[in-house]
Amino acid sequence: MLKPILRRLGSGAVVLWAAASAAYLALRLAPGDTVDTLVGDGPDTPQIRAQIARDLGLDRPAVVQYVDYLWRLLHGDFGRSYVLQRPVVDIIGSQVWPTVKLTLLATAFSAVIAVGLAIVTAGRARWLRGLVSGIELSIVSAPGFLIGILLLSVFSFQLGWFPVSGDRDASALVLPAVALALPIGGLLSQVIREGLERALDEPFAVTARARGLTRSALLWRHALRHALLPAVTLAGTLIGFLLSAAVIVERVFGRPGLGEVATEAVNNKDIPVVLAVVMLAAAIYVVLSTLADLAYLLIDPRLRKG
Amino acid sequence: MRRYLASLAVAALLLGGCNGAAAEDPAAGNSAPVQGGKLTWAIETEPITFNPHQYAQAKARLLVWNSFEALLTHDDKGGYLPWLATAWEASADGLTYTFKLREGVTFHDGEKFDAAAVKANLDQLLVAGYNPGVASTQLKNFKDAEVVDPKTIAVHLKQPDVLILDFFASPQGAQVSPKSLKSPDLKAGGPSVVGTGPFILDRYTKGQEVHYKRNPAYAWAPSNAGHQGPAYLDEITYRFLKESSVRVGALTSGQVDVIEGVPATEQELVRSDPNLTFAKQLNSGTAYNLYFNQTHAPFDDIRVRKAFRDAVDVDAVLQGVYRGTATRAWSILSPSSPFYEASVEKTYGNNPAEANKLLDEAGWSAKDSEGFRSRDGKRLTARIVLSAPFVRDKRDILAQAVQAAVKQTAGIDLQVKVVDQGTAADALAKGEFEVFDNSRADTEAGAALGLIVPKGAPINRHGFSDPELEKLIVEAQATSDPARRKAAYSTIQKVYTDQAVLLPLYAPADQVAAQKKVGGVGFEPTAGVPGSAYTVWIGK
Repeated sequence: MLKPILRRLGSGAVVLWAAASAAYLALRLAPGDTVDTLVGDGPDTPQIRAQIARDLGLDRPAVVQYVDYLWRLLHGDFGRSYVLQRPVVDIIGSQVWPTVKLTLLATAFSAVIAVGLAIVTAGRARWLRGLVSGIELSIVSAPGFLIGILLLSVFSFQLGWFPVSGDRDASALVLPAVALALPIGGLLSQVIREGLERALDEPFAVTARARGLTRSALLWRHALRHALLPAVTLAGTLIGFLLSAAVIVERVFGRPGLGEVATEAVNNKDIPVVLAVVMLAAAIYVVLSTLADLAYLLIDPRLRKG
Repeated sequence: MRRYLASLAVAALLLGGCNGAAAEDPAAGNSAPVQGGKLTWAIETEPITFNPHQYAQAKARLLVWNSFEALLTHDDKGGYLPWLATAWEASADGLTYTFKLREGVTFHDGEKFDAAAVKANLDQLLVAGYNPGVASTQLKNFKDAEVVDPKTIAVHLKQPDVLILDFFASPQGAQVSPKSLKSPDLKAGGPSVVGTGPFILDRYTKGQEVHYKRNPAYAWAPSNAGHQGPAYLDEITYRFLKESSVRVGALTSGQVDVIEGVPATEQELVRSDPNLTFAKQLNSGTAYNLYFNQTHAPFDDIRVRKAFRDAVDVDAVLQGVYRGTATRAWSILSPSSPFYEASVEKTYGNNPAEANKLLDEAGWSAKDSEGFRSRDGKRLTARIVLSAPFVRDKRDILAQAVQAAVKQTAGIDLQVKVVDQGTAADALAKGEFEVFDNSRADTEAGAALGLIVPKGAPINRHGFSDPELEKLIVEAQATSDPARRKAAYSTIQKVYTDQAVLLPLYAPADQVAAQKKVGGVGFEPTAGVPGSAYTVWIGK
């Protein structure tokens, strides 16, 4: 029992280290540097640049900087942001909760959208499936920016049901979560519907119906289990999508959050912040992929024996 | 700086405008200012730092003077007015500036404002690594500060430098409480780094908003501020809304009271809305210019530079991109500068015949299969590299409009590259560009020209230099005679036009729009950016 847990922890640590190193390497290789941002609109001379670089320790060899980062990470020291001049832990700490709230609600919405649409339309008339599937595809392929602006125009600017911005009360969370949930829900719905229809074609479905099971009982109790497996697998990989979509949603809705912090840190080459965000995302990924593995067992009894 | 149309008080309280047609009075129809109330203002840019010493974003300037103040402030004629200093004088040799300080001023944390505080601020700015930019430019001639008595400070210079007054009126010269200078978050600023201003920053939510409350003890506004005593508003929240269409939507739906940054495409909508007021003001500093890189072909040949300039119908291009909302620029400096040289207007441009003649003469007479000019089998190509994070005012679209114009009228292949900041910096460092774009928002034109004109100066990427002009820059910085300074900067502008060093496009401007019930939204004299919330009030 202990061994698999240790293995899991060990592989988690390797993933974290690999993520940190890859992010560090990518930032080193990308052109430009942090000093550009700090210089900003201000005067710009080689002396000023040298002074800033010395102040941040950027004048040391890359390898030394890298080892220094790892060493400090091991001690839980994420350092200070080069650009924002605040401890990274404070920045991330203040921005995590708004993003978590947003993504959790968006996940819930997208699950409702995906399962709801799939159940309602699977195996139904061709025109209905075609219509819904067409709408889903347009939402999936529409830029997130556009969805956000459209939702705002209708529900905030015109109808005034929801406030435009910020992380204040529950009503301010609805539109951003919907904007984030629509494309994911649309995508998952496609996958689940296909799974449902395949399951409905299986002999066991005919048998169940022949034994008097209602259509909805068949869908909910049997077919959905089959259809959820690929959807859960896909959902696990959608975490990256969630974070990158959150960038746009947070920007359009003027919400605080990790997405905006991460993009700006990457643009500014604010390495301590980027590394912290990457580590956090990797940690969440490790946790969620473990959860997804557990979810398989829950959904599919056949896997429990192995 | 040249706000002749507006009297001092009006400029600050209402909206002075050098562009009479564009500026409307947002307070029109409003009655007397109302005391109290809360206001929400949506702004485009979230500041990187709230410490004024670290200020580097012109778009964040409207926040600075809410909670911080400087020794001097700009008037609307290119001069200075007393603020935290009640009087100042320069010694005959120009090496010592003595400031008499206002009495009874306290910082938000209760610390007293006195000469020791001013000295502590100056000393802090020279701490290695704190702000190398200020230490090596604005304070490069600063020697030391001497506390004569609690109300008097003497600033000694290494050599005469009239721009030091501009420093003492700039955000970087703002006074931070000596106690705050020891805060661990000093560089980032925020609630723990305080000043003497009419508002107190009490809450900052990164990515969302910054909140100020009124400073009830405030009683030292400058004479051009429009009123005295504490501010009208009880509270003000600046919300960061980066998307311009979202800002406009939030305003039209009444969710915010004021917005800053109204894009050209939305200005018509905002102006025609009877519930809203709209105003704009040209910024100080330089115009938005395209500079030609003269260090290599093809722009090492003045005929090609002139041809490029003549190939563009700037008015038509601006009309197409900004729908008539942009103010055309003719010189390196913005027309709002008191040093602007108007005689260069209409001396060039929109002359396709001349452009083609010049290019023929310069040897670019062959045409390749795509219709571009070429010489010795090489196409007449120019690259312009725009850094995506710094593109504002749709400058990428503007570059494409110029691209189309020079292609159509003169067969020049202008390649517009919109890239990330790192790639752009790289291209500039390696000289892999023929055209570069820039605008500067300095309040003092001399400071901007000092960065552009001298050989090897930070933004002298065009490679043009002239010992005569460099001498003028130095002289203009050392003399306090406005006429001599004007003459020097006029000469520079004329030479730059004659030598076709650049193609000026438009004068950057700021816009504000507000609900009708909001009064007193204005622009800062000289800088031309939206002013602080001190004069703003909200009707019932």
